[in-house]
Amino acid sequence: MNQEIAIDKGAGKLQLSQWLFNPFQFIAGGKALFIGVVIILITSGLGSISSTHFDGVLDVHTGRSVPIWLFVAEGLIDWLSLAVVLFIFGLLLRRLSFRMIDVFGTQALARWPHIITAMVALAPGYQRYSAHISYKLLKTCPVVMPYQTDALFFALVLIVVICMSIWMVVLMYRAYSVSCNIKGIKAVGSFIAGLIIAEVLSKLSIFWLFTV
Amino acid sequence: MKTLPTICPSCNSRLRVKELLCEKCGTEVEGLYELPALASLPEAEQQFVLQFVKASGSLKEMAKILGLSYPTVRNRLDDIISRVNELQKNQNSLTRKDENNESGNSD
Repeated sequence: MNQEIAIDKGAGKLQLSQWLFNPFQFIAGGKALFIGVVIILITSGLGSISSTHFDGVLDVHTGRSVPIWLFVAEGLIDWLSLAVVLFIFGLLLRRLSFRMIDVFGTQALARWPHIITAMVALAPGYQRYSAHISYKLLKTCPVVMPYQTDALFFALVLIVVICMSIWMVVLMYRAYSVSCNIKGIKAVGSFIAGLIIAEVLSKLSIFWLFTV
Repeated sequence: MKTLPTICPSCNSRLRVKELLCEKCGTEVEGLYELPALASLPEAEQQFVLQFVKASGSLKEMAKILGLSYPTVRNRLDDIISRVNELQKNQNSLTRKDENNESGNSD
């Protein structure tokens, strides 16, 4: 009996870690695409409140306030840049066929840790301290005097952002590996190359978007 | 239920069938037969193939039954296909080797 409970607990832990680091074993295709796009839209909405820009596949920056559609466009560009590049890599490397909706759906869902990033960036302490740093660096923003604890808030938010970004990259890799069935060195190498290309592509697209 | 051993516990080579028995009349057949590729697969993969056939070859249905995503099920099937191809390639090379040995002995 005790052994059975121990096995159940072990299976539960395994299931939880799979849901956290490889949810694409259980969810992909249209369902993942729908949830992923909703998450991207919510993240963009939260980002617009705190002026947090996701201005690149991996980038998170606090910047100027712009219309909400630009935040949404940033989120969609980030997702589509990586999905398109990895889809092309999948076509080049994979011997058998795979579904486009799985690549795009899982890549959209892989961006979900950024919703946590957008939420923690709403913290007033973080907002005040970022405004204070912007004033010190640029001298063009309004003067903001931070509280003593704000630096601590700022550091905590930075740690969360770094952790969420790492987690997101792990999810993006798993999404690529599952949706295109590419494993081993071939998968790691092509994913890193794809990530770099997508990062450049997204940065250029967002730069173009803001200058037009 | 006993599982069919497919790998030699001593040297890790693939096992072949040497003897067959009719339980009804006790007839014994002796020879050297290859295990079919599907029977050479591990138990879990054999179960997967069986379920796949029962699901009329529908990956979507399989995904529902197993509680897994479509690409995960498809990847598992792709892995089984490449394993079966490999097994068949090995079997063909073994058969050719046997034929060569037999023709060498008859000469």
